[in-house]
Amino acid sequence: MVFSDLFFLFVFLPAFILLYRLGGWLDDRHSPDQLNPSHCWRNAVLVVFSLLFYAWGEPVYVLLMIVTVLLNYLSALWMVRSVSTRKIALVTGLVMNLLILGSFKYLGFFARTLDSLGLEVPVPEISLPIGISFYIFQSVSYLVDVYRSDAPAQRRYADLLLYISMFPQLIAGPIVRYDTIAREINSRNASAEDIYDGVFRFLIGLGKKVILANQFSEISDRFLVDGLGSLSTGGAWVGILAFTFQIYFDFSGYSDMAIGIGRCLGFHFKENFNHPYCCDTITDFWRRWHMSLGSFFRDYVYIPLGGNRRRQWFNILVVWFLTGMWHGASWNFIIWGLYFGLIIMVEKFTIIPWKDRIPRPLLHVYALLIVVLGWGIFYFDDMGALATFFQAIFGASDHPTDFTVEGALFDNFWLWITAILFCMPVRRWVSSVPERLMPGHMGIVGNITLLSRLVVATVILVISVALLIGATNNAFLYTRF
Amino acid sequence: MKRAYIFLTLIGGLFLGLAIIFMFFPRPSFSEVERRELKEFPEFSFSRLFDGSFTSDVSSWFSDSQPFRDDFMTLSMTIKKGMALQRGEGDDQFVFHQTGDVGADLMPGGMDEADKKAAYALREQADREIPEGDISAADGEESKMSKSGILIVGSGDKVRALMNFGGSPASGNPYVAMVNAYHQALGPRVKVYSMVVPIAMEFYCPEEARKRPGLYKSQLPTIKHIYSSLSPEVHAVNAYTALSDHVHEDIYLRTDHHWAPLGAYYAACEFARVAGVHVPQLSEFDENVIHRFIGSMYGYSKDISVKNAPEDFVYHTPKDKSYTTTFTVMDVDKDFRVVGEGRPFKTQFFKKFKDGSGNAYLTFMGSDFLIAKVETGVKNGRKLAILKDSYGNAVPGYLFGSFEEVHVLDFRYFPHNIVDYCRRNGITDFLFVNNIFNACSSGVAARSKALLTRKDSSFSLPAKKNEAPAATEAPVEDTQAEEAEDGQTSVVATEAEEEEEEEEDDDGKSVGEMAKK
Repeated sequence: MVFSDLFFLFVFLPAFILLYRLGGWLDDRHSPDQLNPSHCWRNAVLVVFSLLFYAWGEPVYVLLMIVTVLLNYLSALWMVRSVSTRKIALVTGLVMNLLILGSFKYLGFFARTLDSLGLEVPVPEISLPIGISFYIFQSVSYLVDVYRSDAPAQRRYADLLLYISMFPQLIAGPIVRYDTIAREINSRNASAEDIYDGVFRFLIGLGKKVILANQFSEISDRFLVDGLGSLSTGGAWVGILAFTFQIYFDFSGYSDMAIGIGRCLGFHFKENFNHPYCCDTITDFWRRWHMSLGSFFRDYVYIPLGGNRRRQWFNILVVWFLTGMWHGASWNFIIWGLYFGLIIMVEKFTIIPWKDRIPRPLLHVYALLIVVLGWGIFYFDDMGALATFFQAIFGASDHPTDFTVEGALFDNFWLWITAILFCMPVRRWVSSVPERLMPGHMGIVGNITLLSRLVVATVILVISVALLIGATNNAFLYTRF
Repeated sequence: MKRAYIFLTLIGGLFLGLAIIFMFFPRPSFSEVERRELKEFPEFSFSRLFDGSFTSDVSSWFSDSQPFRDDFMTLSMTIKKGMALQRGEGDDQFVFHQTGDVGADLMPGGMDEADKKAAYALREQADREIPEGDISAADGEESKMSKSGILIVGSGDKVRALMNFGGSPASGNPYVAMVNAYHQALGPRVKVYSMVVPIAMEFYCPEEARKRPGLYKSQLPTIKHIYSSLSPEVHAVNAYTALSDHVHEDIYLRTDHHWAPLGAYYAACEFARVAGVHVPQLSEFDENVIHRFIGSMYGYSKDISVKNAPEDFVYHTPKDKSYTTTFTVMDVDKDFRVVGEGRPFKTQFFKKFKDGSGNAYLTFMGSDFLIAKVETGVKNGRKLAILKDSYGNAVPGYLFGSFEEVHVLDFRYFPHNIVDYCRRNGITDFLFVNNIFNACSSGVAARSKALLTRKDSSFSLPAKKNEAPAATEAPVEDTQAEEAEDGQTSVVATEAEEEEEEEEDDDGKSVGEMAKK
């Protein structure tokens, strides 16, 4: 199941809301301490619905996830019970997690690579469980946080299962660190304000995905999938630009929906995107894109390896190699990761020291160019297609442009404009306008905000429903992970 | 705090309203817009539950069969159209989308050596010269390409939607071999005729659009190649010129992929001339009109401007009603294979449809799953069999005053040995009526050819090589059912999907892909 699906929106969600509220009512009635009500029933509903959500798409692999959580639960308890062998417990837990991830996601890749090097290796066909990259990383985060005593080990298996399998963030992130929400598992509060913000955030995410990302995916498919055989230079550029918007709105939209639902439940997930296309260097870009992944690698790989104190070059390359590899079990992803790693290293000694001397628009163009070309590497896991694409984009194709390019631009003109607009922090600007025009009149400001939010929410809901009906493929790009 | 409640109440109310509609209102099973049956709730089985197909089918069913679906689809198309930069008068911006070639360029498999030699040898024969046609009918019109590869010409209530043709002359070779084989098998006493009908794109593509590379490919070379390759004893019927001479009349439907009955009339006249029989003037037919017809192009193009330009579907019935029509209807399973044959019964050839019906083209016989036999009052010793696709449906009605009997056979749903059938019924003239897509399809040719040698009344037709689309693609187009006004429930496979599915056998990305989007 995915969020931008009518069945999720109009069957799963209503059922969940109803039962969750019921659970909340039961909790409140049976709680001896009204200030700290038990979350027993609420959490039970959340866990059950999360498992249903996952099982809907993976009826068999849901067991894998349940077992993974169990293994992590036991490892953490071992760590806590026996201080002398806690390192062994950590290592065992990490190895198990990585073995699971490795087998289900990378075994085929390793086998194919060895095979292409000449070694006779049978290539297994293993289907990738949805969300495995996310939940394994969250498990790793849990074990390390417990080891470092940043958070206490979970005494209850059900609560750990809740953290890992929570449906808002299970399938496509953000990667929620255990210490972020450990307390909130059993003590959280969602006021009307929280729900107001959460619902609005969810709808923004839905709009980004359905209204923007889905339309861009049609354009990018037209050039980069269907039209690859006769790709013109203009077509390559339009295709990859469409993909640039597609992946941003797809992924950030999903993160918005996750954060929104989390907020409604009383969880406060950290932001995952900060207007990445407003970056000025690649270093800056990666501090704005998929921030939960970046901070995961920083805290759990880069710093443990020595960070910038020891063998910095090596550490950076390792992190970027892993970043690339996390995105997919194919060489183009690894190249993509290393591409950014190298550029970031080069930036450290060239652009960053001189950043104030270089005009910002120039930096901005430079950074976006690198990012867009990077998406070109990211898009094609077939090397032949990748080569075709790069030949076309640098001018070595049959024709510089064709009429389909004009069509893609003019027939979707307002889509492009809207997309460019929403890459920028419009919400911040727009919400600050009433405050600046009428300082001190918080009441009127509040009403204007309410009115505009009502209009936006209604429009998004109605348009998204219309676009979803009859739309077919709707899978998130990042559900491959 | 209060604002939060206001927002949540209003938005929650809207959401709840939608949820109630989607969960509890009756769900449609058929889409007028897309002319297909909508998904049904999937059957449950533990194996399907565990491999994930049951749950994904439930999600698909839920999305596919939404209440008020067609209204939402219309809204969705209006929104998508709103994203375009509105162009002013005289602005000739065009947007095109090449959807790939129809027809293979190479000699496709399925033809044996002898056929290939025969086909090549006959190209030496005198060219069956067809003069250039009048392709200027839509010059000066503005046009744009809808997202699915359909060219939209004109504006307002005169919009015309055109399907693209990208085939090449050689792709007609299997068809030629098939027609020649029929000529061989039926013997010297049966005259064989071939009518290849061009599609509207040929004549109605504006000049500006024709100039753009890769969009317009003339069908004339292909038709000429086919006709010049036919065996010299086979009679080629030049429908191309017959249509070209009348382009300024309504000979093609604007909102559907078929020709209009008037176009079929002119083609029938040309056939009659070649066959040496008489067809009355048009004024000697009764004219019938179905108003506000919107055809298949709305669903294919997903463009709202087609919906906003309904047309009159004008067809003609003979004034002399002394002919009797007998149908033998086939039982067809959901994969469109004939699994049984009903008993013949007498009925009306022309079915009535109401104004606004999207199924006006089903007026002729109401279905393709049958054999139609029309016995007329004519006494000239001539009996005609027509082997046709959906384009051929519009032709027989004009020939009831020209032959003693007219047999209408669909190459997809004919379960007998066709040679035996012709012998038993004393057929003297055998006419192929096919649109140019089917004439360029080796799958169609193979299927038609198989009718020459199949055992009579065996119900296993050659397996369709068409695969179901992957789960991530458009829903499979199914049959549509429509209650005809005379109470008979007719089931007709949506024509173009049938035809295009054939092409996919050899032609990779083809028009079928476009139709499925």
